[in-house]
Amino acid sequence: MKESERRFANPCPGTYLLTVSLAQQGYRLSSFCRSLMRPENRAAFRADEVGYMRAQGLDEREIAMVSARDWLAMVRYGVNHFLVFRVAGTFGVGLTGAAAQMRGETPEEFKRTRRVWEER
Amino acid sequence: MARIVGGLGSPHAPSVGAAVDRHEQDTPYWKPLFDGYQPMRAWLERERPDVVVLFSNDHFTSFFLDVIPTFAIGVAAEHEIADEGWGKRPLPPVPGHTDLASHLAQSVVADGFDPAICHRLPLDHGCLTPLSALFSWTPAWPVRVIPILVNVLHFPIPTPARCFKFGAAVRRAVSSYEDDLKVVVLGTGGLSHQLVGERFGHIDPVWDAEFLDRLQDDPQSLAALEHRDFIERGGSESVEVILWLCMRGALSPKVRTVHRNYYHATLTGYGQLILEDLGGAAR
Repeated sequence: MKESERRFANPCPGTYLLTVSLAQQGYRLSSFCRSLMRPENRAAFRADEVGYMRAQGLDEREIAMVSARDWLAMVRYGVNHFLVFRVAGTFGVGLTGAAAQMRGETPEEFKRTRRVWEER
Repeated sequence: MARIVGGLGSPHAPSVGAAVDRHEQDTPYWKPLFDGYQPMRAWLERERPDVVVLFSNDHFTSFFLDVIPTFAIGVAAEHEIADEGWGKRPLPPVPGHTDLASHLAQSVVADGFDPAICHRLPLDHGCLTPLSALFSWTPAWPVRVIPILVNVLHFPIPTPARCFKFGAAVRRAVSSYEDDLKVVVLGTGGLSHQLVGERFGHIDPVWDAEFLDRLQDDPQSLAALEHRDFIERGGSESVEVILWLCMRGALSPKVRTVHRNYYHATLTGYGQLILEDLGGAAR
């Protein structure tokens, strides 16, 4: 990836845009995320996470990101967050949970930064 | 002749649609937003538009990396409800308007825009959230919908200026349609929010207020901004306010704000707006 594209993809601190080179790097991981839109695939993934990811063609680095539930690493690697949220959702992690993790906070710490909060 | 009677602005966050499904419009958390929909529903019941041209975006539901259209028009006679992975929302399919969509596509292409034509375009929360908040769907949806989806997720995305001009092309298209139809344009998404990175949760209500002011009085100045300006002020996902610029571009230069509401929620600054069109030619 050219340095200019890298700079474009990170326009201000803590902010990541999806560009062509990043999306191409993240294509397989993105396809895996998309596959989890189907309940039968979610069940197969839950039953054997690593086996399912290998069958989807993910390499060890990609598998490690998912196994670590490292949503931010997936984004930086080139997966759009709406695709990442489909994996997080499979683990029962919602938007605010993903937010806290990407900010490096506990859910309680993140909640304290919010003006209003919806208890679910 | 068809004519645009006004423009609406609405969030399209999935949590808003979920609140509709759970009948949570009056809970303390959601009331400040759903109270803002009441004047919009009343206005729509009074105006009774035949068609809504809905500017939104897909969220890797109907489109994937294989094909990312910059602009896409849904031309189907009926739009399916998409399953985003957790089951379809309990909504009936949304009626489309193939004749007007066909004319719209012809007209904007003649005008220098080249949208993708989609004969099957299941709608995700980007379209269903605002529709389900603004309309009742029993016994049937009271309006036909032409979804126009704009890529706001995979860069390069169209510039604010391009979106504003695309809206103007949509206005010319509607104005040259031979049947007598009342059309409302609906811009969705935003306002300030960021759903990614260490800056996840960024909201700027001061910027959102300025955006809504300028959208009425000086939309050209917003169209002249760069993506980066929106991202820095309102957060990376707020760049989708280019969908509101499509809507504003489809209105005449002079509009009147008849309703405006703002709710600073957990992750997003939600804006709601009715702009009445005061007439005049397209730009």
